[in-house]
Amino acid sequence: MTTSDDAVTVLTVEAPAVAQRRARWRMALPVGLLAVPMLAFLTYFFFYPAFILLFSSIQTQDSRGIIGRPFTLAHYARLINVELYARVLWTTLRISIITSALATVLAYPVALVMVRSRPMVTRIITLIVIAPLIVSVVVRGYGWQLVLQNGPKGMLNWILMTLHIVDAPISVLYTEVAVVIGSLHVFFPMMVLPLASALGKIDPNLEDAARMLGAPWWKVFLRVTLPLSMPGFVAGFTLVFSLTAGSFVIPAILGGASAVMLGNLIEQQIFVVYDWPFGAAIAVVLVGLVLAVNGFSMWLLEGRRLRRPE
Amino acid sequence: MDERFSGFGAFILYTITAGMMLFILAPLLLVMAASVSDSYFVTFPPQGFTLKWYAKVLQDRDFLEAMRLSILLALGTTAGSLLLGVPAAFALVRGRFFGLAAIKGFLLSPLIFPALVTGLALLQVLTKLGSQDARLNLLIGHVVVTSPYVIRTVVTSLQLVDENLEDAARTLGANRLRTFWRVTLPQIASGVAAGGLFAFMVSFDNYPVTMWLANSEYSPVPLILMRQLVNVFDPSVPAMSTIIILMAMVGVLLLEKLVGLRRALAA
Repeated sequence: MTTSDDAVTVLTVEAPAVAQRRARWRMALPVGLLAVPMLAFLTYFFFYPAFILLFSSIQTQDSRGIIGRPFTLAHYARLINVELYARVLWTTLRISIITSALATVLAYPVALVMVRSRPMVTRIITLIVIAPLIVSVVVRGYGWQLVLQNGPKGMLNWILMTLHIVDAPISVLYTEVAVVIGSLHVFFPMMVLPLASALGKIDPNLEDAARMLGAPWWKVFLRVTLPLSMPGFVAGFTLVFSLTAGSFVIPAILGGASAVMLGNLIEQQIFVVYDWPFGAAIAVVLVGLVLAVNGFSMWLLEGRRLRRPE
Repeated sequence: MDERFSGFGAFILYTITAGMMLFILAPLLLVMAASVSDSYFVTFPPQGFTLKWYAKVLQDRDFLEAMRLSILLALGTTAGSLLLGVPAAFALVRGRFFGLAAIKGFLLSPLIFPALVTGLALLQVLTKLGSQDARLNLLIGHVVVTSPYVIRTVVTSLQLVDENLEDAARTLGANRLRTFWRVTLPQIASGVAAGGLFAFMVSFDNYPVTMWLANSEYSPVPLILMRQLVNVFDPSVPAMSTIIILMAMVGVLLLEKLVGLRRALAA
């Protein structure tokens, strides 16, 4: 290596442009090769398995559990036509959309305060928002189980009854509402962080200008802050939607039998029913859903269709 | 308070923000309170004070065994994803070759793939290969999901390195390896450390990949906890959960010290 580098140095003196091009060419190959182990690993343990999964979703499983021909789309048809399964698909979509929408509405104020406050406040909010992100999802689901516990001994019911908001305990646990609350808690940081980074890039002078020209605070937000923060919103919405759609733990702990999501259905098909092709088909639908949303958001972000010159 | 926010708008902003902070902390604080409360079933408000559940957890062989497995797995995952991820990040930032953008997307794609499906797909292939050692399977699965995080943080910190310093080192006669070791690495050290710490924490908490690849003999902590929650009621669950919460807090503080949280998590 040393010798080739020395050669490059000598060449530089003679003909800089040519030498630089050569140096780059020599550099390029070995540096690029550093990615090969990672590429090989992911190809073998990620892309190849994903392909096999896709492939087995259009095959048939015989009574001995062996997957092979004939090719069929019956598993996909089953997911849509059998009401029980179609309902799971709709529940997943509904919970994911509601969670992402709620996260958006609630994350804007938090992100604004996080970006525009004194350093100390920013630091504390950042810590509180991010800290739970690293606590196991199982633990957070359990925490919500304790908060939402049905019956008078649960925290939520105790508070509601002490404040005389309700007379009898309400039942939130094991409903879709509980799953939305849990998912919101788990994925809220994924909305706040992109929003905060987008808001941080907005020139405060633009807002000041709008204010000085007499716009009330809500108009400043709607006409200046909101449009300029769209990239953060799109990124955050996509993340929260994708992660919620693919969740397993939260619906398992908080949803029980009344809010089964695609992830739970896949697990059940593989571990309980041993129906691999059907499980694979549901997984492919889930991936398709997530990739579609991600593709759409990339199209929005990269086409710069979000920055209206006004 | 702040000159930028005033009037009714500010009131709404601060109220929602304070409410969300409570929302985020409430379940975690309740778990911690329950872990020292002296009743078999968790009630609100928590009653009494005891450390007996911690004493029980520390003698719980299944939990300790799971903890040992989780820590070793997370360490292995960190090493694996750093060994594969750091060179790959280097190639992505310094390489100039055809299809660079495509390869970058390729390497980061496990991030947008639902982890649950990643695990399921991997299980199918590993079963076909006849790979029956759950520990090895878990290690492979965890490296798949954590390596994109390492690549991302290292790429970010590599982009900030001044290439002139490397050129200077090379001109002064250092070979490429030495240049990397003495000039580049010190500059990206905090990024590499953050990536590694991230890999450790993601692996330690991972459920959606772990649930497919673990077996009854080798079950990491999140799986054991889930089992206790769903199948049998165990009054020491709050204590186990609190231990996990405290470990996470240490991780967060370390991350904040190393690179600053916002930067570590920035996409």
